[in-house]
Amino acid sequence: MGLKAIYKYGSPPNFYRFVTRLEPWCLYFGLLLILIGSAGGLFLAPKDYQMGDAFRIIYFHVPSAYLSMSAYAAMGFASIIGIVWRSNVAFSVAKSIAPFGALMTTIALLTGMLWGKPMWGTAWVWDARLTSEFILLLLYLGYITLHASIREQKKADRSASLVAILGIINLPIIHYSVVWWNTLHQASTISKLDSPSIVGEMLWPLLVMIIGYMFFFVAVICRASSAEVLKREKRSSWVKAI
Amino acid sequence: MESYFQLFFRETKVAVKRWTDVLTGIILFFLTAILFPLISDSGKDFLLSIVGPIMMFSSFFASLLSMQNMFKADFQNGTIEQLLLSKKSFVGLIFTKTLAFWLFTSLPLILVSGLIASIYFVTGKDILIIQMTLFLSTMTMININAFTAAITLGIRYPGALMTLIITPITLPILIFGSKAIENSILGLDISGPLYFLTGMMMLSLFLGPWITASALKISMD
Repeated sequence: MGLKAIYKYGSPPNFYRFVTRLEPWCLYFGLLLILIGSAGGLFLAPKDYQMGDAFRIIYFHVPSAYLSMSAYAAMGFASIIGIVWRSNVAFSVAKSIAPFGALMTTIALLTGMLWGKPMWGTAWVWDARLTSEFILLLLYLGYITLHASIREQKKADRSASLVAILGIINLPIIHYSVVWWNTLHQASTISKLDSPSIVGEMLWPLLVMIIGYMFFFVAVICRASSAEVLKREKRSSWVKAI
Repeated sequence: MESYFQLFFRETKVAVKRWTDVLTGIILFFLTAILFPLISDSGKDFLLSIVGPIMMFSSFFASLLSMQNMFKADFQNGTIEQLLLSKKSFVGLIFTKTLAFWLFTSLPLILVSGLIASIYFVTGKDILIIQMTLFLSTMTMININAFTAAITLGIRYPGALMTLIITPITLPILIFGSKAIENSILGLDISGPLYFLTGMMMLSLFLGPWITASALKISMD
């Protein structure tokens, strides 16, 4: 593993074959888990005694928030590999993660707002977690816009990757500075979820949903990056053979 | 060493010739800062409570706008290419260029900020704290801006895109800068934010020229 794997799957045909084989497994397993998790979350789990049925949005909010962060980490990691080994495949993976990561961040923000409106009485507070999630969205948008506005493929890849790497270095700094600013600035607003710690019946659908989302996300990235690789290599002989 | 000084003198000459560019930054800084008391409540307490964020916001805005074309002219007339070809370390040359740019775009802001601070009824040593905060934060900002200017070199109208990329990266500096100024005015301890700003400045002085150089190399080929 390790370096050898990078060299092996760095070659587009190998990567394409691997990814197209991986995709259906992840897709069906992820969909199955999401179905089970939704059923468990929406029908089986008991009502929350404080929030009633409205708490059930957690089963969509938490997995997407979770994924929005790990997708950025994955994008940064792919960008580092791309910059160091000049790997076209890694660049296509990073590029295809970006829009879905931004989508996940948007879903997390929107579901959070929908949840916040009845629960807290307001859709938005300048709470540390909300603010850093919003900054994450800006980082994604910066990457996507930069990539889209440079005409030349190679240049766009490498420039946008530098931005992604800088974002990875900066993300912890941003997060903690927002946390410190917030805690120093005003009394802690709302700490959600921790008042009654979550019970097993409510917890298992959440975990199932998170894992299901992850598999589904991997499947989507497989599809998007294989399409991207095909597009980039459209003149090569192995693509013509397919 | 000599070539670094030569580059520095060249930048000085360029800045003197394009004095309108230097002036633009100062005017922007001054006007954005002075607009707030003009269009809203100009009571002393209110102004003292917002002077921190406004100083940071105005310096951020001014340095962003004065730097968006930092490499453009040099890129078009081939200077960057010559720097890249020279035997001296490209990173060192970029470092020199960035420092020279700081001297002509940010140092005037720090000097003017004393005047603005007194418009906002800030007195005594708080003015010095404001200038020190601006020194630390512009030193960091200039490296971030140089990187972003380098990476958006090939784009025709980079303004909005640069803002989108710079804002999240610069956010911690703005937060801690305004924190330092606020604390100083309230008479609280300012060592925490200033330590943070100094740390960020050292980090950006160390990493900045290096990342900017690699971004320029990407934009060149």
